[in-house]
Amino acid sequence: MWSAFANPERFERLAARLVPWFGWGAAILFAIGLPWALIISPPDYQQGDTVRIMYVHVPSAWLSMAAYAGLGGASFVYFIWRHNIADLAAQALAPIGAVFAFLTLATGSLWGRPMWGTWWEWDARLTSMLVLFLLYLGYMALRAAIEDERLAARAGAILAMAGLINLPIIKFSVDWWNTLHQPASVIRLDGPTIHMSQLWPLLVMALAFTALMTALVLMNVRNMSLAKRAEARARRRIEGEGT
Amino acid sequence: MSAFAAVFVREWRLAAAGGGGPAGPAAFMLAALALVPLAIGPDPDILRAAAPGVIAFAALLASLQGAERLFGDDLSDGTLELYALSPVSLTALSVIKAGAYVSAVLWPAPLIGFVAAMAYGMDGPSAGALSLGLVLALPGLALVSGFAGALAAGVKRSGLLIALIAAPLQVPLLVFVAGAGRAALEGTGLAGANLMLAGAFSLAALALAPFGMAAALRGRLE
Repeated sequence: MWSAFANPERFERLAARLVPWFGWGAAILFAIGLPWALIISPPDYQQGDTVRIMYVHVPSAWLSMAAYAGLGGASFVYFIWRHNIADLAAQALAPIGAVFAFLTLATGSLWGRPMWGTWWEWDARLTSMLVLFLLYLGYMALRAAIEDERLAARAGAILAMAGLINLPIIKFSVDWWNTLHQPASVIRLDGPTIHMSQLWPLLVMALAFTALMTALVLMNVRNMSLAKRAEARARRRIEGEGT
Repeated sequence: MSAFAAVFVREWRLAAAGGGGPAGPAAFMLAALALVPLAIGPDPDILRAAAPGVIAFAALLASLQGAERLFGDDLSDGTLELYALSPVSLTALSVIKAGAYVSAVLWPAPLIGFVAAMAYGMDGPSAGALSLGLVLALPGLALVSGFAGALAAGVKRSGLLIALIAAPLQVPLLVFVAGAGRAALEGTGLAGANLMLAGAFSLAALALAPFGMAAALRGRLE
């Protein structure tokens, strides 16, 4: 069933049809979620208005991890079945995931300043997010360094899969490291369970971010697929003229 | 002599002789560890507390030094294609390469680690735990470095790329080795758990990384 979308033209048609849905869906969800999260929802009884950073921070963190899972999954599909669309999806997901990881670190840092009194805390989550960001950078650097496109796609796929296997181990080791060597007084993000008045805007924002990422990835993959086919066609024409 | 043994002997001798063999990473590690006290000051308490982490970190960096040569030279001079035609599979070749890299090039790291740990003021048993942690971690470090080296083989000046790829993947080893030394130093009783986890990571890397290396090399040979 899935191999049907390995046909570039069929995928492009499907993507062209889906992009407006996700794009407008994201716009509408942001139109609801942003005012709700940033203005309407009550300030936290402990954290005051700084809690509003959460509505950008947490969805970014979720998506940076989801994007890496997608990167690994797409790489697996490409590696086994050599579906070019899967490789294009991996290529599209990497920079977007990296941006979300960076956004998570940046907003976490901004949030940490008023809450923890420091821009950076060697907290387990911050540190594993930093490692995730480095994994994205390594993936993109490897692809950029190899000139041959197929070779770059293959090496990238292998690295993404290795990263996916290693990611839980890294997460575990960083948690272990942190519980061993961090004074227990650190304020944890997950103190009291979240109140419903904060949970709903958070979920809307998460959906909005997800729709935005889906639209961006689909647009990106479609563009790359079109560019690839245009290039192939141009090459055929030049070769045809040569003979 | 079987093909496997013959290739191992060849790789071992090349690794031991080429580019100074074990002297390169060993000298690098020594230099790095000699500079650390100059950077963080001679306070014995701070040095002792920093020792496990700094030594594990220096060993990690040392393991990256030779990764570029592990597959890069064989690819550029065509040896890799001959290996692909030989009865030794690329997966077995990856195991051999990593094994030769550990046994011919990286082996001084635990010794240097032990001496440096003593020099930084750690007591004997905890220096021993740290050193044992390095022994257990070396196969994993070599395999992950080799994996990055295989992916980046044929890329010009691949050293930086290899470091960027391998370093995040080696995070667990860094945590467990340094954790073993620190747990022994502080007497928390968790040194054994850290050592076992370092060994477990090496075993997992041995089970998985050779296939990744072989897949990366096969792509290069197409």
